[in-house]
Amino acid sequence: MIAIIDYGMGNVRSVFNAMEYLDYDSIISSDYSDIEHCSHIILPGVGAFAEAMKNIRKRSLDKILEQEVLYKGKPFLGICLGMQLLASSSEEFGVHDGLGWFKGQVLKLKAEEDGLKMPHIGWNDIKICKEHPIFKGLNQDTATFYFVHSFHLNCKDENEQLAYCEYGEKFTAAIFRDNIVATQFHPEKSQDNGLLLLNNFVCWRRADA
Amino acid sequence: MLKKRIIPKFLIQNGRLVKAQQFHNNFREAGNPVSTARVYNDYGVDEIIFLDIEASPSGRQTVVEVIKKASEAIFMPFTVGGGIRSIADINELLRAGADKVAINTAALDNPVFIEQAAYKYGSQCLTIAIDYREVEKGKFRVFSNGGYRITDWDPLEWSRRMEAAGCGEIILCSIDRDGMMSGYDLDMLEKASAMLRIPVIASSGAGSLEDCCRAFESGAAAIAISSMFLFTDHSPIKVRSYLASQHISVRASRNSRN
Repeated sequence: MIAIIDYGMGNVRSVFNAMEYLDYDSIISSDYSDIEHCSHIILPGVGAFAEAMKNIRKRSLDKILEQEVLYKGKPFLGICLGMQLLASSSEEFGVHDGLGWFKGQVLKLKAEEDGLKMPHIGWNDIKICKEHPIFKGLNQDTATFYFVHSFHLNCKDENEQLAYCEYGEKFTAAIFRDNIVATQFHPEKSQDNGLLLLNNFVCWRRADA
Repeated sequence: MLKKRIIPKFLIQNGRLVKAQQFHNNFREAGNPVSTARVYNDYGVDEIIFLDIEASPSGRQTVVEVIKKASEAIFMPFTVGGGIRSIADINELLRAGADKVAINTAALDNPVFIEQAAYKYGSQCLTIAIDYREVEKGKFRVFSNGGYRITDWDPLEWSRRMEAAGCGEIILCSIDRDGMMSGYDLDMLEKASAMLRIPVIASSGAGSLEDCCRAFESGAAAIAISSMFLFTDHSPIKVRSYLASQHISVRASRNSRN
């Protein structure tokens, strides 16, 4: 069973539908009693950082996720805002603390200075930096995913950078450590490539981590 | 590199896909929206826009059902528009599976609505649809209520106002060119793209592969296509390979992706 964390920040239905399509059981929930029985955890999300952290704390999800992911070591996938929330802090509408699982700040993309359109909306190539089970079977030449964001997690530790993308500047498109992986792009909106990645995530067991 | 997007635009009335000319003339039925969306998913289009042209409460329910069904089988971004008037309307569509909403009349009636929506859901999920017409030689005006009501806004001024309010994208829709397949309004597209910092989607007028190419050369981040896909033999695959041959950065076609 896959837990899809619901903290009132939209987009949970698409991830649930993708799991159904791939024939995996999943549950949309923010209750500890549900999450503790799941083997894998997905933190999706679209919206503003501060509002998201407020909702997470209100539901004690920071404690629950710490217990299940950091201590029990369950495979975890953060998507878009669900990746950014793992950072130490964010500069979106003021400075706000994140979950702090990864050293680094959430910053605005510099693309605007280069005259590029903002938000960064659409399909873009990712460059895979390290081999990882979630990229199994993905062709690097056609590794294109759907992005929609203005901020990005500026990953401090190069060893934790799993993939990057270029839009004006190089920014981190995916991060990882042990049983944790997170993407700035939306696998649940990235057609074949995205479904491949989600399937790989569910097949990823702790032994491989 | 960020890819230029090819987006089929589906107009929905009574649960069916339809297409007219210049918004109100020569309506034609064009099939079931969900099954057509599946076909376009197989073509590997980059997004789909669904517009409820009834813009009534019953029309809303129909569109919600269409989005729910589509998002169970199709894993790409959806923009949904038509009759959105409140935060509750936006919430309903996002929860049904939409990624972005397209708003026209509600923004013209109350621009502050866009600021409120951007604060709550973020700019990335707000698209402003600008329907406009050339009312006198060289004078353009934005229309609301599905092209029935004229406003005092010039489309460029209005797009700048909406960008300031926090919308994330603009769809430029020339009513004069809608369904005519005689080419996009390249002049307006070029001016809007040069002026705005947010992406501009070209809509209304695509009739040939060259039209698609010219829209991108005029600065569009994406092109919306309706009649050309529904009533000619130009498929998204043909459009994509033509654009690639013209050195426009598009996504690889689907069978080469996996």
